[in-house]
Amino acid sequence: MSLLEARDLTGGYGGMDILKGLSMTIEAGAVTVIIGANGAGKSTAMKALFGLVRLNQGSVHFDGADITGAEPETLVRRGMAYVPQERNVFPNLTVEENLEMGAYTINGDLRPRLARVYDLFAILKEKRRQPAGELSGGQRQMVAVGRAMMMDPKLLMLDEPTAGLSPRVMDEMFDSVLAINDLGVGILMVEQNARQALAVADKGYVLASGSVRFEDSGAALLANPEVSESFLGG
Amino acid sequence: MLEFVNFYLIPGLVLGSIYALGAIGVTMLFGILRFAHFAHGDLMSLGAYVALSFVAGIGFPTILALPFAMVIVALASVGIDRAFYRPFRKGPTIIVVIASFGVALMIRSLIQLFWGVEITSYVQGIQRPLVLFDSLRIAERHLWIIALTCVFVVAMHLFLTRSRLGKGMRAMSDDADLARVTGINTRAVIAWTWLIGGGMAAAGGVFLAMDTQLNPSIGWNAILPIFAAAVLGGIGKPYGAIVGGLVIGLAEELSNYPWFGFDPLLSPGYKSGVAFGIMVLMLIFRPSGLFRGRVL
Repeated sequence: MSLLEARDLTGGYGGMDILKGLSMTIEAGAVTVIIGANGAGKSTAMKALFGLVRLNQGSVHFDGADITGAEPETLVRRGMAYVPQERNVFPNLTVEENLEMGAYTINGDLRPRLARVYDLFAILKEKRRQPAGELSGGQRQMVAVGRAMMMDPKLLMLDEPTAGLSPRVMDEMFDSVLAINDLGVGILMVEQNARQALAVADKGYVLASGSVRFEDSGAALLANPEVSESFLGG
Repeated sequence: MLEFVNFYLIPGLVLGSIYALGAIGVTMLFGILRFAHFAHGDLMSLGAYVALSFVAGIGFPTILALPFAMVIVALASVGIDRAFYRPFRKGPTIIVVIASFGVALMIRSLIQLFWGVEITSYVQGIQRPLVLFDSLRIAERHLWIIALTCVFVVAMHLFLTRSRLGKGMRAMSDDADLARVTGINTRAVIAWTWLIGGGMAAAGGVFLAMDTQLNPSIGWNAILPIFAAAVLGGIGKPYGAIVGGLVIGLAEELSNYPWFGFDPLLSPGYKSGVAFGIMVLMLIFRPSGLFRGRVL
């Protein structure tokens, strides 16, 4: 059975439907990538899985339970973690406090969890007493991803984790994401660097106007001339 | 010099402590719920009158009545939020602001209904001040007010920096949407913000009534300097509110000192104008306040 199954999602914000009958299946421990043109509904699709979009229709099942419309707090407990694209750290909290917020629902000692995150992102340990607002863009992104890792999620959802990063930092971020995947954590990523993302993806979804246009393995999508021409810039 | 300390500096610190206690709640509520709580002064009044019931009714000393007033007003604040503010939270902010005006009127009317409209006080008769070092005169109540305010401020600092809930409160004040998707229990954070804001307001109200006398408008009359303190310190910044409260309280009292010649610099009648003036100047020249808070 799949880790996450979204069926026929239709909905959006206000009165407008952005998603029009979107269905996705995500396997445990896999890297799944969503690509598509601007305005295709990529971020909205991810938010819908996390209960942040008003749905008129459709259902989301995660790890055997119906989570349609569940509160984020519940989803985090169940093993989902979501990192928004922008404004994804608490600027006035220190790095370590930011990380602690990721495990807010946990009673008890957070030190082993913190240690695991510091293993992934060594620089954060150095900066742990510094307010997150003072960090560089790449380091903030590490804080955001690290915070999501505090609950040891089954599925880590990243909305454009490399947006606004320099090419070198972007490569580092990709490497970190793959390192997290090696720990057995499933990854769902919305990415604008479609080629680079599909190259590491077990599965890719190409979205257009609120529904799935293509779905296949990352390699197959890269090889598909139609996808290549319309969505990967030739 | 001693006249300055006894009659201007100490009263200024006392008034500043009271404003600080009110402003902490106002600024934290704004940080988390994004609305100016106009009923906060009346929560202070409520605290003052609840304490009066313990003092006049049961015969408690005022200081012993204080914790009861704080707990009762803290719980009442959560109830008020559930009944009058939470239902409007999804709509435009202005609705909650107007609702808080309504709540302010309701609290004041209830106080008039239950406790009457006459001016009264906790202790009858003249209280002699303590005389320290032969010349420093300080009223016992002033010592209590300043000392307990220090205790509350330290407790709040430890709460905000050490406890999970306090950190969650700061996180939510930074970014409420992110706090929610991170898995922070935002409902609990909101409830605790009301408990703390309400409790601090009650303490401020009791202190205000200890310092002067009780009347049903006692807290409402303090709302302007309290807002001024919150703006001065930076909206959403509890430490800023403390500094802002002290600055406003001191400025109000020291503006009456005869700095030049023998007449007060500013007639005591214009005291509240000082707070207003500071607030207007801050909003024009540095709207983020001393501690870089949110711009209104």
